[in-house]
Amino acid sequence: MTRWKPAALVLALVVLFGAGWVVATTTHGEGASAAPVAPRTARTALPGLVPAASADPGLISLASLHPAPGTVARAPGPFDDRFRLDGARLDGRSVRGTVTVTSDVSDLLELEVVAGFYDAEGRLLGTGRFVEHHEEGAGDEPHAAGGRPSEARAVSIPVPADLQGREVSAALGVTVLVNE
Amino acid sequence: MRIGTKTTGAALAAVAVVAGAATAVATPTPSAEASNQGRVKNVIYLLGDGMGRTHVDAARLRYAGANGRLAMETMPVVGQNATYSVEKNSGQPGEPDFRPNYVTDSASAATAWASGVKTYNAALGVDAKGTVAPTVMELAKNAGYATGNVSTAEITDATPAGQMSHALARGCQGPTYSAAACQDLVITGSALPTSDVRVTPIADQIARNGTADVILGGGLSRFDAADEQALTSQGYAVLGSPATQTVATRADLQGASGQKVFGLFNKGNLTIEKYKRENPASAQAAEPSLPEMATKAIDLLKDRSAKGNGFYLQVEGALIDKRSHANDAAQTLEETKAFDDAVKVALDFAKKDGHTLVIVTADHECAGFNIIEKGTFTNAEAAAPPTNNDSGNPANNSTTLRTTGNVKDPARSAGPINGSGAGNVKNFAPATFRTADDPAGVQDGSPEASLWLTYLSGNHTGADVPIFGYGPSSEKVSGEIDNTDLFDIVGGALGVVR
Repeated sequence: MTRWKPAALVLALVVLFGAGWVVATTTHGEGASAAPVAPRTARTALPGLVPAASADPGLISLASLHPAPGTVARAPGPFDDRFRLDGARLDGRSVRGTVTVTSDVSDLLELEVVAGFYDAEGRLLGTGRFVEHHEEGAGDEPHAAGGRPSEARAVSIPVPADLQGREVSAALGVTVLVNE
Repeated sequence: MRIGTKTTGAALAAVAVVAGAATAVATPTPSAEASNQGRVKNVIYLLGDGMGRTHVDAARLRYAGANGRLAMETMPVVGQNATYSVEKNSGQPGEPDFRPNYVTDSASAATAWASGVKTYNAALGVDAKGTVAPTVMELAKNAGYATGNVSTAEITDATPAGQMSHALARGCQGPTYSAAACQDLVITGSALPTSDVRVTPIADQIARNGTADVILGGGLSRFDAADEQALTSQGYAVLGSPATQTVATRADLQGASGQKVFGLFNKGNLTIEKYKRENPASAQAAEPSLPEMATKAIDLLKDRSAKGNGFYLQVEGALIDKRSHANDAAQTLEETKAFDDAVKVALDFAKKDGHTLVIVTADHECAGFNIIEKGTFTNAEAAAPPTNNDSGNPANNSTTLRTTGNVKDPARSAGPINGSGAGNVKNFAPATFRTADDPAGVQDGSPEASLWLTYLSGNHTGADVPIFGYGPSSEKVSGEIDNTDLFDIVGGALGVVR
């Protein structure tokens, strides 16, 4: 009895310590001051993610459209249920229209509208782009009277110089829309 | 080390005692408010976006009356939370290059509590100089907690994204990368490669980083087929389908089970409660409410964490802010009530569990929401700026002396009206609502209704926001705190920050 007691005591203490550590690591909060803290790291590599092309986003739907001469079609995109397109027209130098956001608008943070220009056979000749990027606090917020932001944006996208005179129709679609 | 039989027996006995103690500590005690011994197992953090003190006050009067209390107001610990942000490339408070911005946006506020750093408006999970800062949800996940993120906004919006992403600009939400939306040359000098997480669309990050086990909210149009594949490959049960842009429904949510659940119920933000209530046959009425999502999230996380580790859940009532921006008091009130109902869900769970810290606060105040005396009008409705009656007093530094002006201008005031009134540029008038104390028959929108509400602006303000706490460690949110303190309070309670 006397021979194993010290050893057992030591072992018991070791076990107690060990078990106490287990308790501390699974018991959080006030009593967890001895618990090891996970390293402060963020996950910055995302498995399976192919980095985006650095080019600005386009709309696949542009390639399948064949708007009739003199018309401006609406090119389907990911945010079609969030805006209305009014007054779309092609005037020889640009394609114009008004995009009115129809969902909540406390801040319109990002808006990108892409235009496709087509020849008489309905072939896509090229594209142009309208970009609005809102910097918070920069004083460029187009608020209406009363401080509320305007929900409508007049959009004008010039016909690229190398397409002028060849375009007979156009299409407009929204690629980026972030409204808080 | 060789251990003799007797020694082994004694040691085993010691182990048994310790194991018993460990089991006792690890097992939640029912109705354990009195016996929780200060231990935190779970944290539920609820945030009313844009919810200032008067949003709470007004909702209380509307739904509970002057002598009533909202659920959040029954919480025993109350404090105030300062919310300012900083300018781009600012240092942190106390550093020589510290430059504060007194009015925060939701992104910098989310970063403050999620990552513990002050940052510039629009930044998520990075400090004001663009350095990635880990979030408490990431740390909790790394430490073995089950994690959840619930919002009535798009899940890529600032508050939920602040826990699950790192982005130079909150507008970089997806589904596709855009240089204008994602890069910030003021911070980085030159464009970052698109492989850098800080310019990776937030939806792509959320779908791949596994930071939250349970993700419920809106914003399906931010996600695509590749995101769905990434989610399913990690074991998420995906409700609805990002690939086909099929939104999930309340029924989908109710039937959901498993370790990891991803459910988005609208392509954009979820629908306001008032619309769903008034249009019960609409598709939007099939969206779950915030309390329903909170209930399910707790159930899933509780099961997920049943093996010992606890959970960390963030729940955002996002539409309080969005309707305050619109100066729409009717919907603001109803969204505040829905948020409070979610608070009640969390509190009910915490009271039974005994080891759950519940924190309720806001990211910032929105629109200078206020309660004015019945029958009065705001300065904005006055014919001229308000009279400074004391300007003749030499002790008063003001030089303005007007003998008239503080009278209501009928041309600038359309009288009491509810809703946003956005179509009427003359509408400075208060919105009026009946309260729980008003006699039967008093109607919303009438001069007889006793709750007169106004807005100062259409944007955020720099006012402190209320903070409420319940459960172990909740005393740390009492008094005056800063929003960055919440990182240490929540992280400390979970044992992942020291």
